[in-house]
Amino acid sequence: MYRKQVRRRRAVLTLLIISSFLLLTITYGQSSGGLQRGVSTVFSPLQTVADRALKPARDLVGWFDKTFEARGENSRLKAELVTARRQAVAGQEALQENAQLRKLVELDRGPALAESAYEPVIARVIARSPTVWNSAVTIDVGSGDRIRADDPVISGDGLVGLIASTQGGSAQVTLITDHTSAISAKVVPGGVQGVIRPDIGDPEDLILDFIDSTKDVHGGQAVVTSGWRAQGLASLFPPGLPVGEVTSAPIVEQEASQQVHLRPYADIANLDLVQVLTGGSRG
Amino acid sequence: MIVTPKIFARLAAIAILAVLLQLSFFSRVELLHTSADVLPAVVISLGLLGGSMTGAVAGFSLGFLVDCLLVAPLGGSSLVLLGAGYLAGLFRERFDIHSSLVPPLLCMGLTLFAELGFAAVQVMLGVDAPVSVLIVRDMLLKSIYAFFLAWPIYFGLRRALRPALVEEPKVSRRRQPTVLGA
Repeated sequence: MYRKQVRRRRAVLTLLIISSFLLLTITYGQSSGGLQRGVSTVFSPLQTVADRALKPARDLVGWFDKTFEARGENSRLKAELVTARRQAVAGQEALQENAQLRKLVELDRGPALAESAYEPVIARVIARSPTVWNSAVTIDVGSGDRIRADDPVISGDGLVGLIASTQGGSAQVTLITDHTSAISAKVVPGGVQGVIRPDIGDPEDLILDFIDSTKDVHGGQAVVTSGWRAQGLASLFPPGLPVGEVTSAPIVEQEASQQVHLRPYADIANLDLVQVLTGGSRG
Repeated sequence: MIVTPKIFARLAAIAILAVLLQLSFFSRVELLHTSADVLPAVVISLGLLGGSMTGAVAGFSLGFLVDCLLVAPLGGSSLVLLGAGYLAGLFRERFDIHSSLVPPLLCMGLTLFAELGFAAVQVMLGVDAPVSVLIVRDMLLKSIYAFFLAWPIYFGLRRALRPALVEEPKVSRRRQPTVLGA
């Protein structure tokens, strides 16, 4: 009797392990199947309700966490404020100059901007992946709201990620901290081009890789999407979306590995409201 | 564990509630830059309460559900969680749980095992980006959080599934009086 039980237990375990490997083999590297879409569609209203109901509790825990962090952040922010004020003044001047130049070259009516007319759709994050390996969130808008795969997703601070898949009322966003993410970007001012890749396990660190080691990049410089377009191909992101700020750019690392580190502007760990840029120049 | 239709419905409700709580709450709340992962703790608790088979099936199901909801490659989470659930169940079948510290300690150890498993699955599938050493801190903190979360999870699940549990009769601490000359 006992042996029979043990045999049955081993058989079920083997079956489950084989099923897991089979599922991995079948679904890895493919777009979401019908089953996943179905389950996701059924559960998305439940997730929305759970998200709303649990928001006060999340905020409470977040408040404690933020209070501990706030002390150290205060001095850093003060220093940043001084720099930001200087930049704001310079920015105002640049805006004025830009408006004059636009008038001159009539960019507003030009084909480049008209083609990349993204329409923002506001969305709320309703679920998040539990592991740092699969850095993804689920939002409460989907194909019914004109959201399509590969639409860029931003927050008020900067670039957040890209739509990976959509269902009727929800969509999955692959964050810029996911290991599959790679974004063409440039450092401003200076225009040094590179590819932003994540540093898995550290959501506050991104790597701008493959930069031109002969050009100097230093801490504090902003990094924005480059939004290239060549030979019928185009970047998935419009140009000029803020991504992050260069935090460390040791000369040795720039020359040896052609990379610098940056901190994303968007608070990837605490996303709540985001915007999906629908439409645009693709398609 | 004696699984009647009523108990099965309770197990399904527990699985759905655990996944919803994980995705909508625990994954989005960070303490020391790390969010807690309750799914291994739930699976391990079910394994400890119901045995290796219950643990393995619960692990597979929860993993499958979470992968479906995140539209991630199916099977990865299932494989890891079924391992954790099975090991917890095996522990329950081989050893007695004498102390109330055993479930939390086991949850801590097996959550670390599960986190290492998730990493191994990702490496197996191919990681395209550099990996920070902070991931080690993330794994350790997750297992420490699991220690504290295991108390309410294990005892809550034991209460919810009490009618189905096959428990050993409690040994009375009072000694029977010795009757001399009997």
